[in-house]
Amino acid sequence: MKSKLVLLFVLLSLSISGCASITKDEVLAENIATQKVSDPLEPFNRMVFSFNNVFDKYALRPVAILYRGVLPEFARNRITYALNNLSMPITTINNILQFEFGKAGISTARFVINSTIGILGFFDPAAYFGLEASSEDFGQTLAVWGIPKGPYLVLPLLGPSSPRDFTGLLSTSLLDPTYQIGNTANRELFRYYKMGTSAVNFRSENIELFDDLQNNSVDYYAAVRSFYNQSRNSQVSDNLEVSPSVNQDNLFNDFEEFDLDDTYIGPDISIDYPE
Amino acid sequence: MSSFAHADFEAEEKFVSSFADNAINILGSDTLSNADRSSQFTDLVMRSIDINLISKFVLSKFWKAASDEQKTEYLEAFKEYFIASYASKLDQYSGEKVVVISSEASKKYVIVKSHIVRDGTDTLKIELDWRLLNRDGETKIIDLNIEGISLIIAQREEFQSFLNNHDNDLDALIDKLKSINTKN
Repeated sequence: MKSKLVLLFVLLSLSISGCASITKDEVLAENIATQKVSDPLEPFNRMVFSFNNVFDKYALRPVAILYRGVLPEFARNRITYALNNLSMPITTINNILQFEFGKAGISTARFVINSTIGILGFFDPAAYFGLEASSEDFGQTLAVWGIPKGPYLVLPLLGPSSPRDFTGLLSTSLLDPTYQIGNTANRELFRYYKMGTSAVNFRSENIELFDDLQNNSVDYYAAVRSFYNQSRNSQVSDNLEVSPSVNQDNLFNDFEEFDLDDTYIGPDISIDYPE
Repeated sequence: MSSFAHADFEAEEKFVSSFADNAINILGSDTLSNADRSSQFTDLVMRSIDINLISKFVLSKFWKAASDEQKTEYLEAFKEYFIASYASKLDQYSGEKVVVISSEASKKYVIVKSHIVRDGTDTLKIELDWRLLNRDGETKIIDLNIEGISLIIAQREEFQSFLNNHDNDLDALIDKLKSINTKN
């Protein structure tokens, strides 16, 4: 408990210092899509990435395929909803830490409605009351506070991350209220079940996507890195209420340059593209 | 003036919705032969997506440094690679419906926002944003953004990374593209 209090204190003081010195524009500039990919640890990251791929190939992917094969779509959708619902308490905490009190109210209401009328979160009646789902984690909160993302980091088994997101992940595992249910032994068990189910559920929803990336990438590692960075950037820009697509505009700055300064487009090619 | 902002881009919204419907229909068709499916999908992509501009953009500075011969080879290999990669990404949504939600202007571009509702649910959605550019009076798609991930930006980063790890040798990338094309 002591460590949790210390962590909460650190987070809060970071919050206060963050608010004092960082404006929304600065946060945007730091987090929003830039052409630069910061990956000074690339050789190390690639090693961990290869290890993770072996684990994925022989353990996670086969389990995800089994999961999708055995459980009907109805059951899988229920699990996705239940996992979303279990993320609501930690989302509420992060809404508050981001000073989004209206959103904190929505997350709380969602959790209350879906845990009861929605039968332990297996259904999403809250959405019918106009309470749309959104999910916040400590990584996003740290971003909103203006903490820099740091270099790209591939963690063993956990996959793509950054120092900021890893700090967020540790905070979540210490502070998530849903991890406080039951006695100590049950808590541990519940945590492993939740983490395992989340991983398998996520993987089962993305079997084709990752197969496609793996088979069709010229550089699988770089493709995953880009997907991760872009996905996190767009979540942060959502927090700042900037449309992710509009945010990416600066990435397209030189798009037409290729049209203007070079009219050579090569011969017209018809492709015989096999199945 | 219309109070509906999106009405300004009605044509663009229709364009996206018709492209998505056609693509999903062609890819999911049980009646077309494999050859017909490929040729119809290729035609659709060539009509709707600005591949020429995309091929250069993803290569970035390496395009400018390339020889004419490399450019020709690269364009040919990239087109085939690009079409197969879009087919495989859109094929995941076969049997589903892309619903256009809204559109907005963003610098020179028009962004059309749409989503796919996951089978068997009302509220689990996948968000797809389409970036369109009007050039010489013709509107074409230049990017598809899935849940905040721009495919063209990812492609660009991937190519840059590959080239950085292969002594900036464009021929190595062309060979790699060709070998992926043969595998498909």
